[in-house]
Formats: sequence, structure tokens, C-alpha cells
Amino acid sequence: MTATTRKERSVSATLAAATCALLGTTAAAPVDAQEEPKWDFNTSLLYYGEDENRVQDVSLKSIIRRLFTDDRTLTLGLTVDTLTGATPSGAIRQDVPQSFTRPSGISSYDVPAGELPLDDTFKDTRVAITAGWQQPAGEKGLLSVGFSASKEYDYLHTGVNASYAHDFNNRNTTVSAGFAFASDSIEPVGGAPIPLTNMLDVGDTSNRAGDQDKDVLDVVFGVSQVISKNLLVQANYSFSQSDGYLNNPYKVLSMVDSVTGDTLTRTPGIEGGPSGIFLFEGRPDERTQHSVYTQAKYFMNGKVLDASYRYMTDDWEIDSHTLDVRYRWPIGDSSYIEPHVRYYTQTEAEFYRLSLVDDSLVPLPQFASSDYRLGNFDAITAGLKYGWKTRNDNDMSIRVEWYTQSGTVPAGQLIGNQASRDNYPDLNALIVQFSYRFSR
Amino acid sequence: MGSPCEVLTDGGNKQLADRVSSVVATEAWRIEDKFSRYLDGNVIHRINTAQGEPVEVDAETGNLLDFAATLFEISGGRFDITSGVLRAVWTFDGSDNIPAQDDIDNALGRVGWQRATWADSCLTLRPGMEVDLGGIGKEYAVDRCTTLARSAANVPAMINFGGDLAVTSRPVTRDTWKVGIEGPTVDSAEKLIDLRQGALATSGDARRFLIRDGVRYSHILDPRSGWPVPDAPASITVAADTCTQAGMMSTLAMLRGAEAEDFLAAQELLHWCRR
Repeated sequence: MTATTRKERSVSATLAAATCALLGTTAAAPVDAQEEPKWDFNTSLLYYGEDENRVQDVSLKSIIRRLFTDDRTLTLGLTVDTLTGATPSGAIRQDVPQSFTRPSGISSYDVPAGELPLDDTFKDTRVAITAGWQQPAGEKGLLSVGFSASKEYDYLHTGVNASYAHDFNNRNTTVSAGFAFASDSIEPVGGAPIPLTNMLDVGDTSNRAGDQDKDVLDVVFGVSQVISKNLLVQANYSFSQSDGYLNNPYKVLSMVDSVTGDTLTRTPGIEGGPSGIFLFEGRPDERTQHSVYTQAKYFMNGKVLDASYRYMTDDWEIDSHTLDVRYRWPIGDSSYIEPHVRYYTQTEAEFYRLSLVDDSLVPLPQFASSDYRLGNFDAITAGLKYGWKTRNDNDMSIRVEWYTQSGTVPAGQLIGNQASRDNYPDLNALIVQFSYRFSR
Repeated sequence: MGSPCEVLTDGGNKQLADRVSSVVATEAWRIEDKFSRYLDGNVIHRINTAQGEPVEVDAETGNLLDFAATLFEISGGRFDITSGVLRAVWTFDGSDNIPAQDDIDNALGRVGWQRATWADSCLTLRPGMEVDLGGIGKEYAVDRCTTLARSAANVPAMINFGGDLAVTSRPVTRDTWKVGIEGPTVDSAEKLIDLRQGALATSGDARRFLIRDGVRYSHILDPRSGWPVPDAPASITVAADTCTQAGMMSTLAMLRGAEAEDFLAAQELLHWCRR
């Protein structure tokens, strides 16, 4: 320190003493001020990997927030996902090797005897953007509007959303209402198969239709309430209506013998094709979901317990319950660990079928799908997050979680040999996420 | 105070808000009446019309004069409550109306705290000299009002006199008090400051200046030369424990002209300087 700066520094000390004398007070509480950052950057890199070479996703997500005066905020988001790996086709295991036509219709693949049929052509890059604007509306209101779009090889999503939140009761109560509308178009590889028609030989596209679309309307009503200094509770009701093409164009069901439960066989064409009778799935073209969500956050000396429960029911007869608990535990002033447990359970959709039965006396159902995500299953997520502040006050965190899902096919659906096989494709996945946040 | 004065309370109720604003208004008017150089009959008027005679002042005025004397000393004569007479020579209206050096010299003959005698509660000015506590009064009033508001009602309040402001405590319904610092145009806040405790004060008025031959003269006058301080920033905002400290620090920095930033950096105070 030079002599000059030492002298200059004493200006502020002398001024402080003179001010105390002038105001006749003891030293005032020290100033606590900082410039509000204008930019907030939040970037995360996520790895999601299912075991047995199933889906692997590497996702890079960036959210940039620009804060303006008067509590107005612009938020821009960009997500890039790369997905690879194999996903269950919906066909059942057999004691003999099986072959299938790929979704593209231009080649086929084989599945060894006894193994779960997986479609290994699952490969995609998804780019998603979001834009949101938030601003106060009057003294107590907050208005948000947003836009979203994403593009995958076979899927285009565009959506708009808006919500309004109003504070009451000295800002201890907030009531909100919002909606989101999405208009999506689906361009399946090789064309959208006509539901419940057979998988055909390589080169035969006679049951493929053109592009499809669907609309989804979501409406949410919520209320949050400060109960005490330590407790914040929140409840939402949401309604979701989907209309249009709700099938997964790549999923099939095996057509089985009504006695043995084995897949009916056929001879593949010269250029390859299915070794059995497989029908493309068919789902209703609308779905109405209702859900209720409740959450409580309890603050205890820097520790935060965050527990939530969601109940969802829909007209596909799927009922689900989700229980989620996080506990944030500070370690020192600048880091924390946060254990997380989530339990999820759902009943199967009314049209969930492990397989279709070949019986001349019983007509095919109107709708059918063997997608394991529409089945009866339980899932547990358990993990730990560690977060810390860097020397320049930026936030970093790393999260490691395990996800395990196991399901059962209703006993009444099992026919003949199926009873002795492992029918529901259980799933285990590892999730690792690294996040970095800084403000300028 | 020559500017809009407001009191913001956070939470509480109308009764508490009324009590706080009434206490603040009473104190602000008291200080205005007592120290305004535009009013006849008050202590400043008595001093400025004493024609070389000593004027005995009350304790509060004495404290302000002590404070002014300290500022004169630590600023090396740049901060001088007797410099007001220079304002009769300079008019900062955006024109090229630079006064003649003779007029400046003439006014300078009546400027200089070192020529005043301040002892034993008596101030003696030479005939023609004047004091003006306008450079201290507003910040002093904010701090006085903040102290009174704090004891009048248990409700967080912000006392804001034309941008010089202080808070009694942290707000309750939100995390911080948010203060916008004006940018070059009046209706856009250039920066937002989160204030939880303490005070902010801003010096500088980008709309008051003179321009001649491409040289811009700010309205900050150096009483040692009688000329505007060259290369003064357009505005300086300082955060400090009290509004008085914040205001004096921003004024002292402004008087440093081109060295304002270096001066502020050495003080280790949170500040924002706009050129």
C-alpha cells in the first residue's frame, strides 16, 4: 500500500467518526448492499444411462436469465440431448430366435432366443429452446408468458404458456392460474404405421401412413401459503387434455397362441422381415389427466426439508402416486449435501396387454399397447447431491442418483408358457448431473 | 430539501405507516426551516447577515459546523460550506456561458473556511461571506429521520430524500430493498441495488453543465480555484453505514475529478461511478 492510499483510507475512518459525533449515535449497523446481478447463467450436464445397453442420454442444458428493473425477467433456455441405445420393442421373449423389420422398413434385426426384444435403432438428437418473460402486473400480481419448441429427428414440438400469480394477505398467500398449449407433429421413421396392423416384411410399406399430430392443453391452479416463519406449503390441481396421435409408432405387440402363449410364427420375406406376428400398438386418440400436487418446505436453522406428493389419475385408467423427499443439509457456510428419495407407483392402462391372443371367437381389442411405461410398475430414485460455492461466489453441484423400476404383468394376462418367463422389462439407470451457476 | 421526499414502509399497517411518515415529515420540515439558506430568520440567515460579527449558535448547528470543518480538513479545502457565493457567478444551464475570470476572482475573495473563525460555539465570517449547509443537510436529515423512524414504530422503512436514502432495517416481506440508480435518462434505472441495511447517496447531475469550445464543465465547483472540477464523473453513488457518510464520500470523490475512481477504490466502500 502506498502512502497516498493509506492517507486516502483514513478519510473514510475520519468521516465515520465525524458522522458519529454529528448524529450523536454510536456506530450504525454496517451497510449491507450489493448490486443486483443482471445476468444469471445456469448450465448443467446430465448423464442418464440405463443398464444392459439400453437408453443412454447425455444432455447439456443452459438457462440464461436477464433481470431487468422493476422485477421483469427474460429467461432463455437451450437444451441439447443426444440419445443412443436400445429400447424394448414391446414384443415378448421367445424360446427361439426372433427377427423384426426395423421401423425404417428397409432392413431387419435379430433377437437371440430367450432375450427381451430390443429395438437398437434408437438414436436421436434433440434440441429444445424455451423463452419466457415475467413481469409484475399491478402491485400484487406476477404475469408470465412463454414459448417452447423442440426438434428431434421424428418430432417437432411448439408450445405457448401463460400464468398469473396473485399475492394476498401480506404476500403470505399466493394464488396462481396458468395454461400451456402444445401443438406437436410426429414424423415417424418410415411413416406412421396404421394401429393394430401387422409388422410387414422389409420393403413393404403398405400399412404406413403419413405425418401425425397431437395437441396438448394443460391448465394449472395453485395456491401457496406461508404457514409460519419455517413452513411453506403449496397445492396444485392440474388438468391435461391430449388429442391426436398418442401412439408410440415403434412399439408392437406379439400375437400369441391362445393355449401356449407363444408368438405365432411366420416366414420372413426374402429381404428379411418379422419371424412372428407382431401388431403395431394402438392407443386412444385422447387422454384426460387430473392431478393433485402438494408440497411442504420446512426450514430448520439452514436445513430444509422438502416433501411432496402427487396423485394423478386419467381416463386411460392409470392412477399414480409420487412421493418425493429431499433434505438439504448445510456443511459449513458454503456447501451442503442433499439426500433425495422418490417413490413412484402406477397402475396399468386399461388397454395395456402383454400380448394379443389369436382367437377367432374373440375380436381384437379396439386399443392395445404393451409399452412397459403404461404397465403396472413401481420405481425408486435414490441419490445424493453435493453443492458448494466457489471462491468467486458461483454455485456448483454434483448429483448422483440411481433409478430402479420394476413392474408386473397382471396374472390374468399370462397365457401358457408366458407364466414361466420374465415378462416385464425391469429397468435400472444411473443419473449423474453436474451444474454450474454464476451471475454477472 | 429541494427534491421529492418519500417514506416507504414494508409490511405493517396503515397506522404504523402514518406514524412513521408523520415523524419523518416533522423532522424534515424542522431541519429545512432551521438550515435552509433561502429562509429568513433562521440560524443560517443570522450567520450570513452578521456582517463580520460573531454569531453564537445552538448545539445542533455547532455539530454541523464541526462536521463541516472536518470535511474541509480531510478534503484539503475542496469541500467548503462557504463556497456557495460562487454559485452567483456560475449558472449551469447547458449554455456556453462561462463567467469572466474577474467575476470569479471577486467571488473567491469571499470564499474560504480558513478565513472563518469557529470557536466556543461562535462563528465569525468576514463581511460578504456566507455559509450554506445544503451539501450536508439533506443527508443529515435522512439519517436523523431514519433514527427517529426506527424508534417511532417497529416497521421496516426506507427514507428517501431525492435519491439520498437510508433504511431502518431489512424488509420483512421480501429479501431486500431494491434501489434503482438512474441512468443517463431519467426514467430508466441503470443499475439495481439490493440494500438490506445502511444507506445510499448519489452525487452528480448530468443535466447541469456548461459547454464551450468542446469542453464540458460540470457543476461541481472547486472552491480553491473557483472553476468547475475538470473531468468529474457524471454521477457517483456510494453505499455506506449512514446516508451522511455515503453522501459526503460521493461528494468528496466528485471533487477529485479524474481521480474519483482511485479515491473511491482506496476507501473500500461499495460504489458506482458513471462517466
